[in-house]
Amino acid sequence: MKKRVGDFALYGGGREFAVDLHVGQLYFPEWSRYEAAMRGIIERRYYTNHGPVVRELEERLEDYLGVRHAVTVVNATVGLYMTCVALGLHGKVMMPSFTFIATAQAAVLAGLDPVLCDVDPDTHHLTPATATAALEDGVTALCPVNLWGGSTDIPALVAWSAGHGVDLFFDSAHGFGVERLDGKLGRFGRAEVFSFHATKVMSATEGGCICTDDDDLADRLRNLRSNYGIRRSLEVPLTVNARMSEAQAAIALMSLDVFDERVEHNVEVLDAYRTGLQAVPGVRLVPPAEVVKSNHQSVVIEIDEGSYGLSRDGLWDVLRAEGVRARRYFSPGVHRSPPFDKQYPRFVEACPVTDRLCAAVLQLPVGALVTATDAEQIAGLVRDAHTHAAGLVARA
Amino acid sequence: MTGGKSSVSDLAIFGGPVTFEHPRSIGSLSDPDPEKLLRYSRVFYDRHWYTNNGPVNRMLEARLAEWHDVEHCITFASAFWGLSLAIRHLALAGRREVVTPSLTYRRMGEIIASAGMVPRFCDIDPDTLAQSAETTRPCVGEETALILGAHPTVDCCDAEGLERLSEETGVPLLFDSVESAYETTKGRRVGTFGRAEAFSMHATKLVNGFEGGYITTNDAALADHLDLMRGFGFRTQDQPAFFGINAKLNEIHAAAALASLDDLPALVQRNHRRYETYGQLLTAVPGISLRAFDEREQTSFKNVLAHLDEAWPLSRAATLAVLQAEGALARAYYSPPLHRTQPGFEIRFGELPVTERVTEEYVLLPCGDQVGASDIEAIVELLAFLYAHHSDVAEALESGRGAA
Repeated sequence: MKKRVGDFALYGGGREFAVDLHVGQLYFPEWSRYEAAMRGIIERRYYTNHGPVVRELEERLEDYLGVRHAVTVVNATVGLYMTCVALGLHGKVMMPSFTFIATAQAAVLAGLDPVLCDVDPDTHHLTPATATAALEDGVTALCPVNLWGGSTDIPALVAWSAGHGVDLFFDSAHGFGVERLDGKLGRFGRAEVFSFHATKVMSATEGGCICTDDDDLADRLRNLRSNYGIRRSLEVPLTVNARMSEAQAAIALMSLDVFDERVEHNVEVLDAYRTGLQAVPGVRLVPPAEVVKSNHQSVVIEIDEGSYGLSRDGLWDVLRAEGVRARRYFSPGVHRSPPFDKQYPRFVEACPVTDRLCAAVLQLPVGALVTATDAEQIAGLVRDAHTHAAGLVARA
Repeated sequence: MTGGKSSVSDLAIFGGPVTFEHPRSIGSLSDPDPEKLLRYSRVFYDRHWYTNNGPVNRMLEARLAEWHDVEHCITFASAFWGLSLAIRHLALAGRREVVTPSLTYRRMGEIIASAGMVPRFCDIDPDTLAQSAETTRPCVGEETALILGAHPTVDCCDAEGLERLSEETGVPLLFDSVESAYETTKGRRVGTFGRAEAFSMHATKLVNGFEGGYITTNDAALADHLDLMRGFGFRTQDQPAFFGINAKLNEIHAAAALASLDDLPALVQRNHRRYETYGQLLTAVPGISLRAFDEREQTSFKNVLAHLDEAWPLSRAATLAVLQAEGALARAYYSPPLHRTQPGFEIRFGELPVTERVTEEYVLLPCGDQVGASDIEAIVELLAFLYAHHSDVAEALESGRGAA
């Protein structure tokens, strides 16, 4: 417990954590399983180009998600790009500005212009209302982002897209294993793209998959990915290298094996945060939106500076000095990030809710390397920083 | 009698037993030493750092830079995306054409298109089978944004000539050096030419990183830019400096590449033996000749390229069909040339007489670590058998007995 400002590491006190704690799931199989998997790959002498482990992974994913096609890819950004190309999109694609920069970069890589929408202040998600407010001529698709282990209001967005005659596909990079009342993420819109980056609850170190129930779209995606793993040869504008290797797939399979345990662990950590933060004024633990079961891969808090006493960045500085590598996803929003701010200046002042969230939101450590005890300690630091907020502000 | 084949009906394409139950391909496919892969893996495992420019990736970049005698090396998830990002960055503003040979890697047009550019295909020099300054110059004009020099599968293109052309025209020069990772040309190490050079670490290439690629350059600013571009353009933790995507190499692939580099001298020796075995045995087969490596230079002897001379009595398509049916996955050399393809993006080209002339004449024969000396004997015996029985083979193929 920090009893005075001088106890905080930022101002000369001892660090709370000797080893930095990170945001990001960072699960990796135990060494013996990793070793066996690598030896198996070398014994089979099959390293990439849609090998047996990738084929097994795709089947397991299709089964787990209840979707007709799971097309594995090298990473989710390339997966989003391929989805844009496979859908034959042109012109403009709408997406929230409050998203990881890759959503917009993938669209630009596909030759599209992003149209950046604001989001709902409570759920942090794009809604039909924010989409309508940002609608422009030339929009051919809507790409909502399912954030923080939650989801957008999918039925409403399906209706909105149908009403405006635009394609709908989801950036579900955060959403693997997330369940809504109407089913698991993975089968909504024309396609959904998941990330299997090391920071996600489902990891291939790098990787991702594109899910769809549309047989034609799946075949176009496989033709786009590379010549291996093609079930039906189709004309596509181009073929890129988007293959997942056998080694990546092996990690993903082992990650899927323990997925439920990882989520349970996240829940334990989250519960510790919830308990520790419930009485702290000005700190809101953002719940996953719209879902009956989250993967809880993100612990997201929103800081109201007025009642908390410190700004989000003030708290961020305090925590980092203590070894808590909290992150400010997303700050700034896409609309204020290069090169989009210069390329699309009309959006710079168009997303006030996003701007406010970008200044208020902080992700706290969770995942394989963070324990519930760590979370209690971190929550304690957030409490202590509130208690000594005036002193911390005075010292800053 | 050859490998149990005494008549054409013994050929697999006509229903006979296959020579290779497990196909022999043209990829290097060298197996990393599992102990070394695991030893390098410990470095990332103990630090819980699985991607995002981790410690093993940094070891690999330093090792590759030293190997190529170059200042900077930046790895990528694949050579495809490394080249795509380098083209995007190096292309002269306001111009759209990237000049590259038609007789090259089959996805080169795609790589250029993925960078938002238009490929313009140039002809090749008949001696090197690669573009030269002379074959490139006619394609360089007001629309040219970049010259993308490509090394052929055996020896190198005239890299210095292309450097002079780049200097003379002011058009930047990037190399696809995927097939020349080990080589020197005129005594200078490949990896140091032009603004930058790109290499692949796909399992079929000399350095096996499962999937992966890298770019070498002596230009610190370019290296910094590409380093950021592969990681979404992030300069600081939260904010990109410019356009980027995810093209990062993960740590397992980096560990595999390091293990592969450890084995490289031995692999090159094995390749040399394979090449010499092919060379010795093929002298006994009329009409087919091995394309020789220039042994005055450092070379990997990786690819085995053969020329079908006028005396070779079968078409290349028929020859390949028979070999492939036997499990000897010989391939047509860069076929079709890219100007004859009809992709879903724009391509530009003029007259390409040398490309047109040589494009049907070469075959790549199975090579790499999954091909042993006895396999080479069997492949050359098949070729000898084809030569000896060419009339019967051609007749049987024409009568529609085979799959060709």
